[in-house]
Amino acid sequence: MADTPATRVAVRTAVAANERADALGDGVLAGAFVALALVFAAVAAASGDTFFFRLATEALILAGVAMAVDLLLGYTGLLSLGHALFFGFGAYVSALVLKHWSPSFWAAIGVTFAAAALLGVVAGFIAIRARGVYFALITFGLAQVVFKAVYNTRELGGSDGIIGIPQIRVEFGLFSVQASSPLGFFLVTLVFVMLLYAALAWLMRTPFGRLLVAIRANESARALPGILALARQAGGLRDRGRGRRALRQPVPHAARPGVAGAAGLPDIGQRRDHGHPRRRRHLVGALYGAVILTGLKSVIGTWTEHHLIIIGALFMLSVIFLPKGFAGYVLPRLRRRFAPGAGKPGEGA
Amino acid sequence: MTEILESLQFVYGPQVANGLAIGVAVILMALGLTIIFGLLDVINMSHGEFYALGAYLAVTLVGQGVNFWLCLALVPVAMAAIGYFTERALIQRVFHTKDRHILTLLLTFGLAIIAEDAFKLAYGPNPYKPESPISGASEILGIMLPNYRLFLIAAGGAIIVAVWLVVYRTTLGAMVRAAAWDKNMAASLGVPVERVYAGTFAFGVALAGLSGVLLAPIYSVFPTMGKDFILMAFTVVIVGGMGSIKGAVIAGLVLTQIQSISSLFISPVWSDPLVFGIMVLFLMVRPQGLAGRLGHG
Repeated sequence: MADTPATRVAVRTAVAANERADALGDGVLAGAFVALALVFAAVAAASGDTFFFRLATEALILAGVAMAVDLLLGYTGLLSLGHALFFGFGAYVSALVLKHWSPSFWAAIGVTFAAAALLGVVAGFIAIRARGVYFALITFGLAQVVFKAVYNTRELGGSDGIIGIPQIRVEFGLFSVQASSPLGFFLVTLVFVMLLYAALAWLMRTPFGRLLVAIRANESARALPGILALARQAGGLRDRGRGRRALRQPVPHAARPGVAGAAGLPDIGQRRDHGHPRRRRHLVGALYGAVILTGLKSVIGTWTEHHLIIIGALFMLSVIFLPKGFAGYVLPRLRRRFAPGAGKPGEGA
Repeated sequence: MTEILESLQFVYGPQVANGLAIGVAVILMALGLTIIFGLLDVINMSHGEFYALGAYLAVTLVGQGVNFWLCLALVPVAMAAIGYFTERALIQRVFHTKDRHILTLLLTFGLAIIAEDAFKLAYGPNPYKPESPISGASEILGIMLPNYRLFLIAAGGAIIVAVWLVVYRTTLGAMVRAAAWDKNMAASLGVPVERVYAGTFAFGVALAGLSGVLLAPIYSVFPTMGKDFILMAFTVVIVGGMGSIKGAVIAGLVLTQIQSISSLFISPVWSDPLVFGIMVLFLMVRPQGLAGRLGHG
């Protein structure tokens, strides 16, 4: 396509229409997610349940981690195999803060956020030297090394982990929520995860977020000459720009699983980020994926403790048959229903 | 002077020899990884689990009364069949997509998760230790060494030479190198590229299995043994140069010596970070590794 003012306008109009349709589809799915969560909370609270509350809270925390992985893989194309490192790190830091320094939830989450961001800078500084498969290998190695070091450090509880973390109360000024209350903690987690989602969705629509997408330098980015030019301006040559951008990028993403870790479950240190690969550009898919997988794990867990075999098989099947993931499958279909005529089917997935 | 000689004989000597035995096994594993990468461009994250599977197969066969030496021949054949099937049934399905690197990496990562849990299901979490098929020890240059380790060094060395001969001195190896250099050109010259891909993957998996059998009598056999070993193998491959046979041999020997000697001075907990640090250093300073890629000189 010739690069004339007229084609630029045409491209921008088409892109804007696509993005509106995308945002609409995401919004519908995210709204439905919150509505379903609230209906679940009402039903579960009415029946005096605790087991399903705990399970659902765990699913929401996993959703936070999944969104962080999605931010990296889905938007910048960097596959991090060591994301459990940040999750476990967040859990350990918050446990140490709560146990030895202050029983305040806000202190724990603040320190954890700052520490995870710092670790993200360090890890990003190491890992960003490499691209593609090397990035995956470095993050994998980093997580393995830290896991072994912590596992063999008696001061951190070794293989037993940290025990005796005080039960906390989350103060909101006017009211407070006991972390031991199933309903209360579920709602707190829901609010945090949805705020995280909203913040990420907003971030991805800012110029910074667009830059993240543009540095993938794939076909769709080449269709956006303005943005690519912006990326070039910002970082010199594309390759160098990619390095610098991406170095800055892991900071917010690393802080995120740290916060998810701070929200609870310090015993899940070596958790892997299962989930659909490449829920590319559909953060909302991470929410649903996390809930589906946590539910599945629990169901399988009732008849075998070897749930990883089945979840691993599903993971492989989804790599083969649903490489665009759950949201990549549902959203184009949703969009055709809600906004017919906007964009080409399959675009943006 | 005698002190130095004594420390060489009783402290450093055995450590160097042990490092050499482990180094040979690491090289066998890294050769599989690097050949698969060199030809297929696939990072096989489940390579460590194939290594563990080889060891478990040996444990099972020996438990059934099969001779260890027979195992040494049977297991690689079985592993090659498993590898061939894995390539045809799984890798090929995502091989021709645009995101081949990431998808094959994720696919083999998933396979590793399944395999590790399957080992726990089938054999339980406790380690097995097959009896060493060669007992006794010999003295070489005043250093006492278990005979089995001597055998491991000799046999492993012979296999490494054999692999090199196959890749660089046979028609089969020429086909593999041709397919790695230019797949389309090789195919149009009549090289059955698809079968060469599957065969190469099978070959790499068989080497991992073989290394599992050879190390089983020295280390124990347990479900996470692959994961513990894979970081070393990846480091060897990266330092040596992804897809380089010569590089893997040199890096394998040097890195296992570094690990072995350093364990005299630092706690074993820190040997992993040390290996990882070398890997990161190489990625920063010389990302192409020591030597060139398979089929590229």
